[in-house]
Amino acid sequence: MKIYEFTQAPNPRRVRVFLAEKGINVPYEQVNLFTADNRKPEFLKINPMGGLPVLELDDGTHIAESVAICRYFEEIKPEPRLMGVDAKDKAVVEMWNRRMEFEVLWNIANSFRHTSDFFKGRIPQVKEFGEVSRGAGLKRLEWLDTVLADREFIAGPRYTIADITALIGIDFGRTTGIKVEENQKNLARWYQAVSSRPSAKA
Amino acid sequence: MKIYDFTLAPNPRRLRIFVAEKGLKIPLEQVDIFAGENRTPEMLAKNPAGGLPILELDDGSHLAESVAICRYLEGLHPEPNLMGKDSREQAFIEMWNRRIELGLFAAAGRAFQHTNELFKGRLKQFPEFGATQRETVAQQLQWLDAQIGNKPFIAGDHFTIADITAEVAVDFATQMAGVKLDPALKNLARWHKAVSSRPSAKA
Repeated sequence: MKIYEFTQAPNPRRVRVFLAEKGINVPYEQVNLFTADNRKPEFLKINPMGGLPVLELDDGTHIAESVAICRYFEEIKPEPRLMGVDAKDKAVVEMWNRRMEFEVLWNIANSFRHTSDFFKGRIPQVKEFGEVSRGAGLKRLEWLDTVLADREFIAGPRYTIADITALIGIDFGRTTGIKVEENQKNLARWYQAVSSRPSAKA
Repeated sequence: MKIYDFTLAPNPRRLRIFVAEKGLKIPLEQVDIFAGENRTPEMLAKNPAGGLPILELDDGSHLAESVAICRYLEGLHPEPNLMGKDSREQAFIEMWNRRIELGLFAAAGRAFQHTNELFKGRLKQFPEFGATQRETVAQQLQWLDAQIGNKPFIAGDHFTIADITAEVAVDFATQMAGVKLDPALKNLARWHKAVSSRPSAKA
C-alpha cells in the first residue's frame, strides 16, 4: 500500500492530516506537479483524472479523490471517528465537509488557479474570475467566524474531516494573501486549536 | 420529514432520484429559486449556504447538501445499497461520485451560470469563462464515455449514487448548459439510455 502525492499541494495534505489523526502510517511516493508528471501517460493509467493524492492498495487497484481515500481508512479503522458517529452525525459531518469544500477551499483554489503563475498555460485563466473567487472566499471566512461562535469545531463538538478541509483551505489561502483576521475571534480560536494539533504538521 | 425542493434545479433532482430508488416517499415543498425564495431569511436559517435541497427532520432540524442527505437516508435504509457496503466499495463509489461532481457536473454548472440569462444579476458573469467550461463539458463527456467502456454502470456492476450524479449532470449539460451529446459516444449513450429508463429518472 502507498499513496502518490505532492507535499506542497492542498488535497494530499488533507489525507496526510487525516491519517496522522488516525495514527496510520502509509508510505508516500512523490509525483512532481511542477513538471506535470501527473499528466503523463504512466500516471494517467493510475488516475485518469490526473489528480493527487491516489491510494494504491496491495492488490494494485487505485482509489483517487482525497475524501474517498479518507472514507476507506475511516471504514477499516473507525477510531478515532472523523466522519461521524451515527447515521445523522455522518450526514452532518458530510454536510459541513462539503460546505467547507465549496465555500472555503474551492473559492481559494479558484483564486489560485486563475491568478497564479503556476497555472499560467496549464488552464485558460480568467483573472477577474479568480479575483471574484478570492472575494467570495474572504466573505465565507467571515461567515465561518459566526458559525464557530457556538461550537468548538466546525461540525459541532468533535474534531472531524470538516476541520481538516477548512484548515487546509485557509492555509492554502496564503498563496493569494488570505488569512484569518485578528477581529475574527472565533475563527482565530478554532484556527489556533486545529493548527496546534500534531497532525497539522503532517 | 419533508424535503425543500425545486423541480428544475439539478441538485434537488439528485436527491429525488435517490429517494425514488430507495422506494421512500418523502413530501416535497417547492421553493422557487427563480423568485429568490431560497435566499429569504427564513430559508437561510434552515440552510445558511442558500442551496437546495434541504431535508427537514421530524425534530425540526435541517440537513443540507444533497449527498449528505443521501448518506443519512442510506444509513436509515441500507437497501437497495447505493453508496457501498464495505470499506473498499464505499471508497470506490465515493471516488466516482466525486469525479463526476468535480468534473462534468461542476463544469456544466459553471457553463450555465456564466452564459444563461437566468443568472444575469445573480453573480458576476464571465461569458468567455462560460464558453471554456462548455468545452470542458464536451471533454468530460468524451472522457466519461471512455471510462464507462463496457461497464453496465459508472462505479461497477450495480446502480449507485455515482450513476445518479452522472445522469443528472449529463441531462443538465444537454438541456440547460447548451452542450450537445455526440452520438459517436456509444458507451455513454448506452448507459444513459439504461439509467434514463429506470422509473426513478422521472422523479
